[in-house]
Amino acid sequence: MSVDPNLHVPIYEQIVEHIRGSVAAGVHRPGEALPSIRALAVELLVNPNTVQRAYQELERQGLVKTRKGRGVFVTEDGDASAQSRSAAAVQARFTDGIQVGKTARLPDDRIESIFRNAMAAADGSEQTDRADARGDTSPEARDES
Amino acid sequence: MTTGESSESTVELAGVTKHFGKQTAVADLSLQIPKGTGFGFIGPNGAGKTTTIKMIMGLLQSDAGRIVALGLDPIADGLALKQRVGYVPEQQVIHRWMRVREAIRFCRLFYATWDDKLCADLLGQFDLDPDKKVKQLSKGMVVKLSLLLAMSHEPELLVLDEPMAGLDPVVREELLDGILQTICDREQTVVFSSHTLSDVQRLADAIGIINEGQLRVHCAVDDLLRRTKRIRAVLSDGSAPERPPEGMIWQRVRDREWLLTVEDFSDETVAGLRATNALERVEVIDLGLEDIFKDYVRGWRASA
Repeated sequence: MSVDPNLHVPIYEQIVEHIRGSVAAGVHRPGEALPSIRALAVELLVNPNTVQRAYQELERQGLVKTRKGRGVFVTEDGDASAQSRSAAAVQARFTDGIQVGKTARLPDDRIESIFRNAMAAADGSEQTDRADARGDTSPEARDES
Repeated sequence: MTTGESSESTVELAGVTKHFGKQTAVADLSLQIPKGTGFGFIGPNGAGKTTTIKMIMGLLQSDAGRIVALGLDPIADGLALKQRVGYVPEQQVIHRWMRVREAIRFCRLFYATWDDKLCADLLGQFDLDPDKKVKQLSKGMVVKLSLLLAMSHEPELLVLDEPMAGLDPVVREELLDGILQTICDREQTVVFSSHTLSDVQRLADAIGIINEGQLRVHCAVDDLLRRTKRIRAVLSDGSAPERPPEGMIWQRVRDREWLLTVEDFSDETVAGLRATNALERVEVIDLGLEDIFKDYVRGWRASA
């Protein structure tokens, strides 16, 4: 995981989105602990207050629960809430894309067919994606185990 | 408010002004930096960042206004303040003929709270050779040594004046790592200036944008990103837009395209634009800190 300070998305939101994705994907399962604030701040090279803010936001969304002195844990239905939150994020991205199309004065049916093609292309490349992701994260996964 | 430890702010400036001859370096600057937070100072060269930092450190006396750092007056309580602050100046002041271990031994004498273990940890983490002479060190290594000397007495406040200037990305990352590991464990307050806005975003909770000695923007980085937007509008008739909206930072009209960046953006901003101009299409663009900063500076130059 890494953050990109050059994006327009505030760093704490990037952290929220990433962890939400990880919980939805089953990287962090209900009842399991997230990394400590200190560990994540040093790993991502960001101010610990920023990580804390991200954890507070995740708690507000019901994905995690802080247990005093023990850490931050994924809630029982954390994975389900993460998925519905991710759906909202998907919709926001599509809205951005549709906006680009409308600015260029593309007709709606053209935008729709672009969506269908993109969906088909994504289904086709899913195998490759998975292989790539494995290659990317395996050294980290080893470190953590 | 009186000076004292009960104060929530680690650093507080009220109406601070500094002149150099006829030139105003800092004008009526007020600022509060809460305990345990990171504050990043950004602004064009010569905007007054270093002057402000030197006044906080008690190295320069203000002409007007009041400064309190860790509950102390930087000039009257200078010695007491320096015991509790770690400072990395723009220009490194370590004696070049000393060896690294000698520089450490020398510096250690001045601080009652010097932590040998922390110092040894940082030495290892920064990969500094204690037997090397300071003049043999690369620029990055000198900054690392400087930071080690500024942090080993566990200061409550860390003041860094452009610490990352001129360093390669790998060294910058190592420095950030060292700073973050130290502040994570100690709830230190960090005040720093930088032109590297990505580092500012990593370290800072709040930023101050200073221009010609005036603090023009002071807020949380997240808030700045959320409320500053660029609007790209297509002008129907290609004529120059009617009066610019409230809170406009910068604008440019080229052919039919009207670009403008506004602070405190809301839906009403767009409605207001549409009410006073014939616009074909309006698009709202999110900006990163670098673009926001550049638009502010361009706007100030255009209005100067």
